[in-house]
Amino acid sequence: MARVPPDFTKTLLFLTCQIRLKNKNSDLTMYQIVEKESFSEKVVKLVVHAPRIARARKPGHFIILRIDEQGERIPLTIAQADKNAGTITLVVQKVGVSSTRLCEMNPGDSILDLVGPLGKATHIHQAGTILACGGGVGIAPLLPIVEGFKKAGNRVVTVLAARSKDLIILEDEIRQWSDEVIIMTDDGSYGNKGLVTTGAEEVINREQIDECVAIGPAVMMKFTALLTKKYNIPTQASLNAVMVDGTGMCGACRANVGGETKFTCIDGPEFDAHKIDFDELIQRLGGYMAEEKEAWEQANG
Amino acid sequence: MKEYLKIERDTEWRVELRSQLKNKERTMRERVVMPGLDPLERIKYQDREVNLGLDEASARAEASRCMDCVNPTCIEGCPVSINIPKFIKNIERGEVLEAAKTLKETSALPAVCGRVCPQEKQCEAQCFYTLKLKKEPVAIGYLERFAADYEQNSGAVSVPETAAKNNIKVAAIGSGPASLSFAGDMAKLGYDVTVFEALHEIGGVLKYGIPEFRLPNRVVDVELESLENMGVKFERNFIVGRTASFDDLKEEGYQAFFVASGAGLPRFMNIPGENYNGILSSNEYLTRVNLMHAAEKEFDTPVLRGKNIAVVGGGNTAMDSVRTAKRLGAERAMIIYRRSREEMPARVEEVLHAEEEGIEFLNLTNPVEYFADENGRVNRMRVQKMELGEPDASGRRRPVVVEGSEYDIPVDVVVVAIGVSPNPLVPSELPELKVSRWGTIEVDPETMQSSIPELFAGGDIVRGGATVILAMGDGRKAAAGMNNYLQGKLKEQATEASGN
Amino acid sequence: MANLTSQFFGLELKSPVIAASSSMTGDLEQIKKLAQAGVGAIVLKSLFEEEIDAQLQEELSKRKALEPDPEYMDYFDYIIRDENLKDYTSLIRQAKQAVDVPIVASVNCVSAVDWVVFSKKLEEAGADALELNLFALPSDVAKTNETSEQFYFKTIAEVLKTVSIPVSIKISHYFSNLAGMIQRLSETGVSGISLFNRFYSPDIDINQEEVVGADVLSNPSDYLMPLRWTGIMASKTACPLAATTGVHSAETAIKFLLAGANAVQIASVLYTNGAAVVTEMNQQIAAWMDEKGYSSVADFKGKLAVGEADATLYERAQFMKYFSQKSF
Repeated sequence: MARVPPDFTKTLLFLTCQIRLKNKNSDLTMYQIVEKESFSEKVVKLVVHAPRIARARKPGHFIILRIDEQGERIPLTIAQADKNAGTITLVVQKVGVSSTRLCEMNPGDSILDLVGPLGKATHIHQAGTILACGGGVGIAPLLPIVEGFKKAGNRVVTVLAARSKDLIILEDEIRQWSDEVIIMTDDGSYGNKGLVTTGAEEVINREQIDECVAIGPAVMMKFTALLTKKYNIPTQASLNAVMVDGTGMCGACRANVGGETKFTCIDGPEFDAHKIDFDELIQRLGGYMAEEKEAWEQANG
Repeated sequence: MKEYLKIERDTEWRVELRSQLKNKERTMRERVVMPGLDPLERIKYQDREVNLGLDEASARAEASRCMDCVNPTCIEGCPVSINIPKFIKNIERGEVLEAAKTLKETSALPAVCGRVCPQEKQCEAQCFYTLKLKKEPVAIGYLERFAADYEQNSGAVSVPETAAKNNIKVAAIGSGPASLSFAGDMAKLGYDVTVFEALHEIGGVLKYGIPEFRLPNRVVDVELESLENMGVKFERNFIVGRTASFDDLKEEGYQAFFVASGAGLPRFMNIPGENYNGILSSNEYLTRVNLMHAAEKEFDTPVLRGKNIAVVGGGNTAMDSVRTAKRLGAERAMIIYRRSREEMPARVEEVLHAEEEGIEFLNLTNPVEYFADENGRVNRMRVQKMELGEPDASGRRRPVVVEGSEYDIPVDVVVVAIGVSPNPLVPSELPELKVSRWGTIEVDPETMQSSIPELFAGGDIVRGGATVILAMGDGRKAAAGMNNYLQGKLKEQATEASGN
Repeated sequence: MANLTSQFFGLELKSPVIAASSSMTGDLEQIKKLAQAGVGAIVLKSLFEEEIDAQLQEELSKRKALEPDPEYMDYFDYIIRDENLKDYTSLIRQAKQAVDVPIVASVNCVSAVDWVVFSKKLEEAGADALELNLFALPSDVAKTNETSEQFYFKTIAEVLKTVSIPVSIKISHYFSNLAGMIQRLSETGVSGISLFNRFYSPDIDINQEEVVGADVLSNPSDYLMPLRWTGIMASKTACPLAATTGVHSAETAIKFLLAGANAVQIASVLYTNGAAVVTEMNQQIAAWMDEKGYSSVADFKGKLAVGEADATLYERAQFMKYFSQKSF
């Protein structure tokens, strides 16, 4: 796929924001997509009609969806929810066949199955100063947590990191609930040049940090955890594991936390980052790589 | 119950039928053999049922072996108390649809039970032939399946009679055998039943667990249709306690709940290397293939394939997994089981079928460690030999390690099928609910009522692990228990109202 | 006050008085009390393979009534083992969080296989050291000495290979060549040997004419046998020794230190006198040291041990005489 010129993306973005369903919400079918925004070539935001989940969800919760009969069950963390409109916001990255097909769906289309909210909610409490670190699409699940901590009366300093400018998502929403936002990009195309840990360490050296939350690619969380361990800052990381049912049955999402086997869907998705065996997690995330590649080739070849 | 059976037995046609053939002649007849697909042919297909079912002539011949005993002990062996002689005698006289109706009097899923029940441990174990004659029992399971299939294929599926609607809303949580059986009985009593299912398919283990070659989905679907015709409603993608809380549902009018949320997290052995890629639970393996159709090209969900696939365990889930592996192209599909063939908890027929299909049985063998390649994908497992020692409290001989007997087996995929723990979702939402140390819900064994009066439970979530038929038995008991509870409450309210 | 610091379990202990593994050290509140009283280390209640087994039998008979799927019963022993292990690792975590005294995990298994798996899990849970309670009562007449002993070396080697925290052992005295065995065990890489563990002893009730359990608590006089062997072996082992069984007072503790032990493990006296006895023992040991002019444990430790090079008849006779006055 050719890279879309930045200007064009912006226009597209603007246009898609305008696409709203003419129907009133009450006429919506279950799990209908009401809004779509393309953040980048590979990352899309979808607002989906799911009133019960919109009402019940809390920061940290996720859902599982299946776009159609052929689709996989995909776990996605809920980025935002609107109780009144009965909608939830999901941010999807193209990784496999099903997620790519999901990214290609449009407002008006319906997702066949969607279940949730799943997982344990984030333990939001008054802690003092929170350092929130988000990497790439991990910024989406970080948003409700940042919002929660801010509303609970904490000072929230957020460090957002991505490879380049176009991969920094939901910046305005994050800013709304953060006392300060530091942007880091690998190529320096936006904010400061460097990794999430560079930004985080600056904050830690500058002020007293009471707790840290890190969500993003496993490698990013691994190094954030190593950093905060050095400074003895309690840290939560939200794992993005391979799942099938998501309801505590298949065991695909197991992770080694402090020497014990934990299941991301039931015991997580958030765990004490200092106890997670990230190397094993990274290895397990690649568990179906060959099979996914084959499916991809079949779908596109 | 005894009275009812006697009256049924004394109906004219049954008396007449008994007199047609001397018992001695009946007992001389050989038990029918179930026709099946050729093993070498069937392992090419994930979705072809192995057992083909009886034809009408052989079913009627088999039915004639049944002596219509005065004291039908077989019924005692059935957790849902099917009137076994009545349905068998109906087959014998050629009234197969009547036979099917008899099954449905007490069982919501006859076509399923005829296929997956361990009859050799239940009704057939209590058959007069087994108990007194030391001969092969009447093939009650085959006949049950025959009658149920006959009805399904006739296009004249009967809908059991239901009492007038009482407009009392009750919920069943989970849609496996326990729930379906509960829903059937409650619908018959006139209740407004909704079955809530977390997954996108109704049927629980019948859909995600038991493979197509043993229980085709269409068979389950017909039974589900029957329930729908009786007024049972199904809600998919709904986790009670999450999508909506118990309190939400009470506000929506639900007066009582039956929790049959079934199996939960798979058990692993906690041995070194068990988290390598390529090692997965039977729940995951079977769910991918059965529920997500991962073996079919047009579906997105992947499944691990390999040349050498080892399945750890000796139960039905292990047999289902290993036979699935064979069908997905494994050259060497192995069962690794630490006891001997005699102790295997799987149905005898499944073990036989697996043997016919070329499954390798490494019995008295136990895994101790896994090894992986540089990408973290399992490539070797270390096992040790076991021998059988003294019997334990369950009556089976315990496996003991043979020192120094370790050796390695090359493997590409390992499926661990050593059991599951009860699903933690419902108990975790109800802190006041009494659960055992093992996560099972504690209930009164007669009424299936839990420590929360309006909450009943059954199946795996109560027993830790239950066969399909025992789960169905729980569903029936819970329906009776809940009906008593709700009617009692109504009466109380009525007296209170009149008292005021 | 004199410096009571000593080393055992491969760790620096601030007192030579250790709380031995007992049901008391399985309770978080008691653990906190013991730490406050000033113990040098706490050996947690043992993870008993036999206990797990007894539980399994009980659960199986209970479960049987529920008629579960035989498949569920098939691997129930793994479930029981796992649950016990989980409880134990959470005890380690809680203890580590609650006190800053070294926490030593203790395992007590019969088969060589489980020891290894268990040990790894306990290390991961944060135990500072491991104590292996090697517990094979040589009651099988068919077994040769060699096979009985092989079990010890094999298990130790396996566990040492699996964990990186220090591993100590607690052994019985049932060996045909006890001195040789202790010496060889000390050279396996273990960081300490405790002499000797107490077996659950059978007794007989003559009225009912049945076998019953003997009193589980030790008697003050039980220390004599460990004392003899501590004295004989202290200079001949490649690792430190500690005494266990019968240590009820500061006086006995001092005797062991003089005989060459690095530490003493106490249990029965904690049951009879409570955790406060530790503070008392520490004070009394310190007072004795002050009186004798010792500023550290090292100053007198092993003073009355049988020397290795100078194991002359005289010293040995003296040593034997020392005991004979007491024991015969």
